[in-house]
Amino acid sequence: MSEAMTLGTSLPRLEAAAKAAGAARYTADMELPGMLHGAVLGSPHAHARIASYDVSAARALPGVKAVVTGADIPQRRFGLTVADESALAIGKVRYIGDPVAAVAAVDTEIAARALELIKVAYEELPAMVTPEQAMADGAPLIHEGYAGYPKIFDCISSGNIMSLARISAGDAEAAWSQCDLIVEDVYETQAQYHAYMEPVAAIAEVDAVGRMTIWSTTQSVFRTQACVSEALGLPRGKVRAISPYVGGGFGGKSEPGVQLVAAVLARACGRPVKVVLRREDDIMTMRSRHPAKIRLKTGARRDGTILARTGDVIMDGGAYADDSPAAMTIVLHFLRGPYRIPNVAFDGRVVYTNKLRAGAFRAVGNAQATFACESQLDELAARLSIDPIDLRLKNAIQQGDRWLGGHAVGSASLAECLTKVRVASDWDTRRAADQKATTTGKRRALGVSSIVYTCAYLSTSAVVRLLEDGTVSVATGAVDIGQGSDTAIAQMCAAALQLPIASVTLVRPDTDATPYNSGTNASRVTYMLGQVIAQAADQVRTQIFRHAADLFECAEEDIELLPGGRVAIKGVSERALTFAEISRRAHFQVGGPIIGQGSYVFDAGKNDPKLAIAKGTISLEHIGTYVFGAQVVDVEVDEITGKVEVLEAWSAHDVGRAVNRQAVEGQIEGAFAQGLGYALMEELVWDDGQLINPSFMDYKIPGTLDMPPKFHPIIIENPEPTHPFGVKGIGEPPVIGVAPAIANAIEQASGVRIRRLPLTGERVLRALVTRDSRAP
Amino acid sequence: MSAAFHEPTTIAEAVAILATEPDVCCLAGGQSLVAALNTRSFAAPTLVSLQRIEELRGLRRGADGSVTVGAMTTHRDVARADCFQAGQEIVPQAAAHIAHPAVRTMGTIGGSICHADPAADYPGVLAACGATVTLVNARGQRELAASDFFVDFLTTAVEPDEMVTAITFPPMPEGTRGIYEKFCRSEGDFATVSVALILGMHDGRCAFARVALGGCGPTPVRAPEAETRLIGSRLDDDDISSASNLLCSRAAPQSDVRGSAEYRLMLVPRLLVRALDRARRRP
Repeated sequence: MSEAMTLGTSLPRLEAAAKAAGAARYTADMELPGMLHGAVLGSPHAHARIASYDVSAARALPGVKAVVTGADIPQRRFGLTVADESALAIGKVRYIGDPVAAVAAVDTEIAARALELIKVAYEELPAMVTPEQAMADGAPLIHEGYAGYPKIFDCISSGNIMSLARISAGDAEAAWSQCDLIVEDVYETQAQYHAYMEPVAAIAEVDAVGRMTIWSTTQSVFRTQACVSEALGLPRGKVRAISPYVGGGFGGKSEPGVQLVAAVLARACGRPVKVVLRREDDIMTMRSRHPAKIRLKTGARRDGTILARTGDVIMDGGAYADDSPAAMTIVLHFLRGPYRIPNVAFDGRVVYTNKLRAGAFRAVGNAQATFACESQLDELAARLSIDPIDLRLKNAIQQGDRWLGGHAVGSASLAECLTKVRVASDWDTRRAADQKATTTGKRRALGVSSIVYTCAYLSTSAVVRLLEDGTVSVATGAVDIGQGSDTAIAQMCAAALQLPIASVTLVRPDTDATPYNSGTNASRVTYMLGQVIAQAADQVRTQIFRHAADLFECAEEDIELLPGGRVAIKGVSERALTFAEISRRAHFQVGGPIIGQGSYVFDAGKNDPKLAIAKGTISLEHIGTYVFGAQVVDVEVDEITGKVEVLEAWSAHDVGRAVNRQAVEGQIEGAFAQGLGYALMEELVWDDGQLINPSFMDYKIPGTLDMPPKFHPIIIENPEPTHPFGVKGIGEPPVIGVAPAIANAIEQASGVRIRRLPLTGERVLRALVTRDSRAP
Repeated sequence: MSAAFHEPTTIAEAVAILATEPDVCCLAGGQSLVAALNTRSFAAPTLVSLQRIEELRGLRRGADGSVTVGAMTTHRDVARADCFQAGQEIVPQAAAHIAHPAVRTMGTIGGSICHADPAADYPGVLAACGATVTLVNARGQRELAASDFFVDFLTTAVEPDEMVTAITFPPMPEGTRGIYEKFCRSEGDFATVSVALILGMHDGRCAFARVALGGCGPTPVRAPEAETRLIGSRLDDDDISSASNLLCSRAAPQSDVRGSAEYRLMLVPRLLVRALDRARRRP
């Protein structure tokens, strides 16, 4: 049918030309009449009490219109899982860069000079920069008031441990005795910076009746609205949040950036205030992927049947909780991997430290868990002398299986993903070949990994309006952060109403104009918005049919939709009515304007305690719809320097159904690049609480030339039964398995297993030197 | 922003400004200086842009086989130049390794060496080639050997009233080959360690050798005794190993985010072996 006109086709992004031409406006591009420029003073100490402020010199500087400290703002806290943050530090600072004071001035130069004039007296406290230091006996508390902070979950905490959680199923301890082989080791992952192209920025304005409007780069206008409302003690309706174009997020803009600072400054001076962070300040004060240390133990029968797995996870949450307890829940939820393992027990601790907060980051928690799991699976395969893909296939989750706690697994295509990459990479032939060092000191081999993730999360809504000319306007609160969801939403709506894409217009996210959506995260937008677009479009279609039946004097059941915005009696297409004709009738004669709406909350059902026991976790009732993928990488290890290069890669993902094929391929390729950076080079490094590489000179992300010269995205389409368009998410899954696939290839090529990311030349070379010193 | 901004069109005009203005700094391609100004890690002085001085651009091959490169010649133009011969081809090789196309199109050889980052690509190459740097002030001109030009980390022998106008690469013996071997974390990064090698072979023995290291100390590292050790040898494992030890004993690398000092010292002999192999294998 004509759904094919739009669904699955590689239509250009709606905003591609505007972005390519530099015409798309981002927050930093905006100017408002009378607007001032804000700047933020960060703490020079990792942990200290604030004794006093002296802002008189800063206030006296000509051109300065407001100076605000933690003493001047509402003494309120906000936070996604634990309300432990404030717009500016109140009472104490907890990491180097923690915002202490802010200035609004007529230009950025004066604002920067004013910051230098602010004097803050500190009483330094011992800084705890590792989870081990923070968990040590007698370690001073980073949040003395933790017990009293509001929390959204049944939190178990102790000292600086903000959250203790456990998920278990079966009886792992009893199962070890049935295992022929048990492997156990510790896997460590690092802090990764989101490196979105657009650093955080916000403009705040208070109108004549005290209502606050915030324009900002954000992954959720509703989350921005909620945080500003909570931090300032304003009712929700008194805060309006809008997002202009957003230059990337990757999870780093799920929670506030500088919106709160802009808001307190705008309130203090009564003029609009813009705050844009420089790259260095963005790196120092926003958030990172959680560093994790995972002790993992897996046991199997000689035939490769995995019987049991246990894991003990410590994650460094940094100075504020952000979404850390949720991230830990995700880690524990995915430590089993996409396999049938009947007996598991996973324990996690997230710890406060005096460093940058960790937070959501493309496949939060899962990337860390999967590095451990998929590395260990290859170690198990080697010890069992079973091909790594065969071992994965033997234990793969199948259609009809249940996830931990009973979640339904819809289309389960792991086996198909693995088979596709196996065939495409000529795996069986290549793996059989011996890895001889070449004359140039390089060895080359393939490595594999598989992944599982979810793409349905929380709730969303949409309003579809039929305009007088027969085109439609779609309002959703879903922010396109550069990943292409606007185009996907328009394509789904166009398909549902059989309209050309040009007849669909999207309303920019605005809490005043677009209905609720929880956020652009968890690979959820296409799946979740598809649900409500289908509902809303169906309501519009029903009303159109009612008008048509009236005009044709027939039953509604006899009306059919024709491509291009027309309806007719079935089989009589030559006498069609256009949407424009019907919409004009509705607007001006009968019934009133045609509007459809959709509302949806994902419900995976209650955890079944007979299947799994979860303690101290965030609720998993509203997250689910499982996605699967597999990748093979062809890796070359330079044994002279330790440098690792990926020469070719195959990344296969079941997306249910590709709404826009090129956009799906773009997600797979882009996620591979970010996964490559995580695997090989990206790492935020602290020295005694001071971040030492907050710039793109010192913190390297991969560029085009670091990508494999040959890259093969493989799209698998097994329509998801729970979805009206059959789609599943693809934003995060392709980032997850890159690092373990590369680590597995390195072991196959050079015989060294590296259990710590990133797999730098230095780490690899040291492992090679150790290997050679052991050689007979 | 800076206190003042000048755009002279001749060297004479430029040095006149340098002679009179108190706190003044030359702006070449701006690839390091502008970034430093943007991060406010460097207080803006009076800037003298050299962009409009045409006589600072271009490459010239002398009758003696030397190549003189104007200070404002971009990395891109050096990388594409065909006037470098035997051994000197290391210069365009290294230029092609600098950062990314955007940086190579704007950045200049004079700007790079005046910034004097020991992890950059040119300093080691100048040292290995025995290049000379031409400096000019209002009173006249002087020539400095590369070894005297690089004084310390981000520090050169350029006086406040002086500017670099050209770099001259002397001819290398016929039949020598230049090899630039660079290890870095990602494409376009500064070197963790770089080895600049110019090698000549005769009858299976090393007849000529120049080696310099980048990223292994505050200035490029050269060890004449290591070169002496190679010359006359057949470049057996022992020869290379002792030459590497001599080089490493002159190196004083620091640990930083690109790699530990120890790793850098591990890389030196390994990259030297690779450079020597490449130099001998090339047709």
